[in-house]
Amino acid sequence: MIKVPEHKEPQHNLVSEKFLSPSKLYLPLAQHTGAPSLPCVKKGDIVDQGDVIANARGLISSQLHAPKKGKIIDIANWYHPTLKKSPAIIIQCQDEEKEYLPRDNKDIESLSKEKILETIANHGIVGMGGAAFPTHVKLNPPKKIDTLIINGCECEPYLACDYRLMIEKMKEIFMGIKLICKLINPKEVIFAIEENKPEAIKKINLFISTNKIELPPIHSFVLNTAYPQGGEKQLIQLITKKKIPPRKLPLDVGCLVHNVATCFAIYQAIYLDKPLIERLVSFCGDGLVTPRNIWVKIGTTLKELIDKKILEFRKDPKKIICGGPMMGIALDSLDYPILKNAGGFLFLADGIDSAKEEPCLRCNRCVDTCPMNLLPLEYVKRIKKNNYSSLAEFNITDCIECGCCTYGCPAKIPIVHYIKTGKNYVINNK
Amino acid sequence: MSLIISSPPHLKSRLSTSYLMKQVMIALLPAVIASIYFFGIRAVLLIANCTFTALITERIILLLRKKPSTLNDYSAAVTGLLLALTLPPSVTWYAASLGSIVAISIGKHIFGGLGANIFNPALIGRAFLMAAYPKMLTTFIKPNSVDAISSATPLILRKFSQVITPNSSLFFGKVSGSLGETSAICLIIGGLYLLIRKVAGWRIPLSLLLTTTISSIILYLINPSWGSIWFHLFSGGLLLGAFFMATDPVTTPTTKKGRYIFGIGCGILIMIIRYFGGLPEGVMYSILFMNALTPLINRYTKPRRFGT
Repeated sequence: MIKVPEHKEPQHNLVSEKFLSPSKLYLPLAQHTGAPSLPCVKKGDIVDQGDVIANARGLISSQLHAPKKGKIIDIANWYHPTLKKSPAIIIQCQDEEKEYLPRDNKDIESLSKEKILETIANHGIVGMGGAAFPTHVKLNPPKKIDTLIINGCECEPYLACDYRLMIEKMKEIFMGIKLICKLINPKEVIFAIEENKPEAIKKINLFISTNKIELPPIHSFVLNTAYPQGGEKQLIQLITKKKIPPRKLPLDVGCLVHNVATCFAIYQAIYLDKPLIERLVSFCGDGLVTPRNIWVKIGTTLKELIDKKILEFRKDPKKIICGGPMMGIALDSLDYPILKNAGGFLFLADGIDSAKEEPCLRCNRCVDTCPMNLLPLEYVKRIKKNNYSSLAEFNITDCIECGCCTYGCPAKIPIVHYIKTGKNYVINNK
Repeated sequence: MSLIISSPPHLKSRLSTSYLMKQVMIALLPAVIASIYFFGIRAVLLIANCTFTALITERIILLLRKKPSTLNDYSAAVTGLLLALTLPPSVTWYAASLGSIVAISIGKHIFGGLGANIFNPALIGRAFLMAAYPKMLTTFIKPNSVDAISSATPLILRKFSQVITPNSSLFFGKVSGSLGETSAICLIIGGLYLLIRKVAGWRIPLSLLLTTTISSIILYLINPSWGSIWFHLFSGGLLLGAFFMATDPVTTPTTKKGRYIFGIGCGILIMIIRYFGGLPEGVMYSILFMNALTPLINRYTKPRRFGT
């Protein structure tokens, strides 16, 4: 665990805005962990807002919906943050915006577990904290869950979308949590949050104490601000003192972790019958005139936000990052679309670190900060010598690529980069 | 718009090798000032000689190895400075220069330069001089004396004359000994600075000093004339070694458990040499010996896998 500069101001205090009228949307078929969705529309089709445009393929997959009414103009390769280029459905949008009205509470009370799960699956909900794992799979665990952890940590610097969501939509988040509880029936619910989010902590405690929403025993758990404790394994370790064994899942230690934004998406799916077609995204960094938290349609490109003056450059950014600065991916163009799991985009103009790599001093900072008890410097030493065969015995595949090692390295060695190379080798040569 | 593509993390600390080395030099400043106070111009010349010889040697070797100059990482300067502080003030200029050359060339570059050496370079330089000029390296002078009256160190007095030097002289440094090791208070200030600024890890100094403390308590109870805890902590090169030599990251274990073992091993060896060995002091050989064991310690102290 490390302390990193938070850079959460001013976006922490910026009320969320909306940009729901893009002209074109680019929707990659692979927006979730698992098999990419299978398109069920063809070029030239007219789709309504919320229509399914691609179906789940296989057990671990997800549905994709049209975020706007419009015409399918193509299904072709398009920019994708992790896959570089990948098939995407491209929609020419019309300006109309559909309104979603809340359903009667009584109808929802009477919903069966199966029906809720089916609705979540049909509405294309995936984990919105970053991993984008299909939520309906996670909510149908083969084992009994004791502890449900709601993750409101947002430990990546800069990002503020989860914080804003908690402040503005806490009631809806709690209604989402209630639905999750109905599905998995946990013994307790723990709402995890970092101490640098005081307003949200107040809100959580208020909701818990007034008990407006019936839930199993629920506590808030305020963590000292540190990185990367928003990671699933770290969070479970900190809260329950249980460590997830290698190659095991949270459910193997009786835990389940859900991001606050996912809870909100579940609420929308069940109460409003609204699929996952929008999300709150933080746009920040010194390259922008002002940072903003904006509700955008999934599939909106950065270029469109710039062209429509939703975002304005203070000065040409040198680096654009999809995600936070610790684990985010550097983008090479403005044509990338916003995906279901993208919580933020950084536009950095000044102080881009381009320090040269120096010899390792074996100073152990990487060893001391590694949350997974690994020896990052040993990987670098071996990978530099092309000695890949000994990597597996050092458990290189346990690495969660949080970047703590690289952050603190005085020799400026891109350790994560080396580890990714080594991991690929180990995985491909099993 | 041209965008930079690089792998994450995109946020990095401002820590650098040169920063760490500069911090070590700042931490050594109290000891340097004390050495100048006690040994005057000899101290200035010896420190300057060792440091400059180290820098020149580094530059020449890097030219021979066709590598870019890394003088600005200050690592050679730190090696030279540390070597100077471990030498008797009366050592001749050519011996000091030779020690510095050996430290950088054989101690460091033979193994591949910064980060690749097995032994602490400054201690290699000193060990070489100990073998080459044993008389010179065991002849010490009185502090604050104009004409270099030779005098025995507290550890020599203890071992061979059964005389125990008072704690206050050891604490402030008005005793004879190597240039930088006489003043305990200055070394403690410097050492704490290193720990507080997180330049050096605390595991090795703590376990080393605890080991010497505990063994000196036991041995003091057996025979008080062997010297008290304070005597053993404040005399000789123990503090200089514990804070500045045994914390050299390059030559010490990488695992957390390994660093405790390293510190305890050094502490035990130092006390064995002091109590039962032929030499009055054993910090240098203890650390060099543990340096040699470091790869083995690393191998047997791999951290426990997360979740097992």
